[in-house]
Amino acid sequence: MSVLGDFWGGLLVGLQWGNLFYCFLGALIGTLIGVLPGLGPVPTIAMLLPITFYLSPVSALIMLAGIYYGAQYGGSTTAILVNLPGENSSVITCLDGYQMARKGEAGAALAVAALGSLFAGIFATFFIAVMAPPLANVALLFGPAENFSLMILGLIAAIVLAQGSVLKALGMIVFGLLLSMVGTDVNSGEPRLALGISDLLDGIGFVPLAMGLFAVAEIIKNLEQPEHREQIAKVSNLWPTRNDFRRSWPAVLRGSGIGAILGLLPGGGAMLSSFVAYTVEKRLSPHPEKFGTGMIEGVAAPEAANNAGAQTSFIPFLTLGIPGNAVLALMTGAMMIHGIQPGPEVMTKNPDLFWGLIASMLIGNIMLVVINLPLLPIWVSLLRVPYKLFYPAILVFCCIGVYSLNNSVNEVFFLVLFGFLGYFLLKWGCEPAPLLLAFVLGPLLEENFRRAMRLSRGDPSTFITQPISAALLALALVLLAVLVFPAIRKRRQDAL
Amino acid sequence: MRFVRNPADAYTGLALVCFALFAWWAAGDLRTGTALQMGPGYFPKLLCALQGILGLAILTNGLAPATAAPLEPVAARPLVLILASIAFFGLAIERLGLAVAVFGLVVISSLAYRKIGIAPLILLAAGLAVFSLFLFIKVLGLTMMPWPWSR
Repeated sequence: MSVLGDFWGGLLVGLQWGNLFYCFLGALIGTLIGVLPGLGPVPTIAMLLPITFYLSPVSALIMLAGIYYGAQYGGSTTAILVNLPGENSSVITCLDGYQMARKGEAGAALAVAALGSLFAGIFATFFIAVMAPPLANVALLFGPAENFSLMILGLIAAIVLAQGSVLKALGMIVFGLLLSMVGTDVNSGEPRLALGISDLLDGIGFVPLAMGLFAVAEIIKNLEQPEHREQIAKVSNLWPTRNDFRRSWPAVLRGSGIGAILGLLPGGGAMLSSFVAYTVEKRLSPHPEKFGTGMIEGVAAPEAANNAGAQTSFIPFLTLGIPGNAVLALMTGAMMIHGIQPGPEVMTKNPDLFWGLIASMLIGNIMLVVINLPLLPIWVSLLRVPYKLFYPAILVFCCIGVYSLNNSVNEVFFLVLFGFLGYFLLKWGCEPAPLLLAFVLGPLLEENFRRAMRLSRGDPSTFITQPISAALLALALVLLAVLVFPAIRKRRQDAL
Repeated sequence: MRFVRNPADAYTGLALVCFALFAWWAAGDLRTGTALQMGPGYFPKLLCALQGILGLAILTNGLAPATAAPLEPVAARPLVLILASIAFFGLAIERLGLAVAVFGLVVISSLAYRKIGIAPLILLAAGLAVFSLFLFIKVLGLTMMPWPWSR
C-alpha cells in the first residue's frame, strides 16, 4: 500500500464526526492552556488522562495531540502580547514578538506566528507520513537486544537534551525504572516491592504519578511567588504587510525544516527547535544586531520550528515506541490504558489509529488558525484571568479524575504523595520528565533484557556483539561522553 | 553543616541512596536467580545497586566546593495547604460526598493564595462544587456520592 493511500484512509478516520469533535476540542484546550500562563500541556494532559478512558483510543490520542500542538499556537499569543511565555517553547518568541507588539505591530506578529505554525504543521504532517513507515519497518526487525539498547539510547538522549544536572537526571531515570518495578511480576506472578499494600499489586498508578509530579507539584511551585501582571499590548491590524510576508516566508521554511529534524531527537521536540531556528535566523540575517528589537524573522522561524518539532516528535514515539518528552510519555500511558503498546506494531496492527492520528494533525492545524486569529479578542481577555481562580479548578479536576479511575480513595492519597515528591524534585533541581519516561519504559526494558539474556544463554555480551544493538549503545555512550566535556556542557547550558 | 556545599545535590543523593536501600530491603525475599534464569528480584536489585551508586555520586557532588549553590527556600504554606486540600478531598469523598469534598478542596487550596477575599472564595468554591456535580454526575454519570445525606 502506498503512503498516499494510507494517508487517505487516515484522513477518513480523522474526518469522522466524533474524531473531528475531539480534534477541535484538543485544539481549543491546547490554545486555552497555551494562552494561560502557568498551565502548560503536560499538567493539562496529566489532568485529562482519566477522561481518555471513556474515549476510543483514536479519539483520545487525537485530542491529546491537539492539546500539545495547540499549546504551541496559544503560547505565542501570550509571548507576543505580554512578554510571558505561556508555554516553554515560546520563550524565544518573546524576544522579538513582544518588541514588535511594543512598536504597534502585534497583529502582524500574531498573524505571522499563526500562519508560520500552520505551514510548519502541514509540512510536519507530511514529513511524518513519509518518514514513519520505513522507520517502523526497520524497528519491526529488532530483537530483544536491539530493543533494550534502543530504549537505553532513548532514555540517555532524553536527558542529554534536558536541562539541569546530567547525573541527577540519570538518578531520576533509575528511580523511575525502580518505581515501575512495583507490582506483580509478569513472569512469576509474585508481588514485588508492594510492601503488602493491596493497591500496589497492580503497580504504581500512572495517573496519580503523572498528575502529582506535573500538575500538583507545579501548582505549589507557581504559588511560591506572587503573581505579577504585565501590560497587555493592543492588537490593531491583524494583516501583515507585503514586506512582512516577503521577510517571513524564507524564515518559516527554514524553521519548519529545522523543527522537523530536531523534533526527531528524543528530548528535542518543541523547545530545542525554536531555539536553534532563532539562532540560525540571526546568523543568516544581514542585520543580526537588530534581533531582539522586533524582527519578524525572529518570530516566524521559532514559531514554525516549535510547531514542526512538536509534531515530528511523534515519529520516534509512533514507530519505535520511544517517548521523547513528558507529553509523549503521558500519551504512552494513555495508549497503554487502552491496551495498545506504542511501537512499530501500531502501524500494522492499528493502522486506523496510526494514520488517523497523523491525518488529524493536518485537520487540527487548519482548525487552529481559525480558532486563533478570528477569536483573538477572546484569548486576549483570557489573559486577564487570575491564577487564583483557575488553580483550584485544576485541583478539582485532578482529584475527581484520580478518584474516578477505580473509585479508590487510596489513589487520591497517592496523588498527595507524588505531589509532595514532585515538589521536592523541582526544588532540588531534578527533572521529573526523565523519571516519567523511565517509569513508562521500565517494564518493557526489563522484559527485553530478560529475553535477550535468555537468547544469549545468560551472556551479557550479547548487547555488544550484535551490531545494531552495539551501535545503539555506542551512540548512547558517545552522548554521555559528550556531556563530560566542559566546553560542550557549557554551550548546552547557554543554549537552554 | 559546613561540608554540604550544594544542599540540593546532597539531599537528592541522600534520598536516592535511602530509597535504594529501602527498595533493596523490600526486594529481599524475592528470588534473584541467575542471568539465564532471572528471578523476580534480579532486575529490581540491579536497579537498586545502580541507584545507590548514582545517589552516592550525586551526594559526593553536593559536598564538593566547586558546586556550591544555596538551597531555594521551601514554600511551606502552599506545600502544606495544597496537599492538605487533596487529602481532604480523599477523606471526604466517600463520607461526605462530592459537593462537600469539592467545596472543602477549593476553600483549603485557595488559602494558599494570600490575596483572596471571603466572598469570592465562597462563590468560587460553591460554583466549582455545582459545576462538578453537574458535569461528573449529571452529564458523565460517574457513580459518586453527591451529598452527605445520599447513601
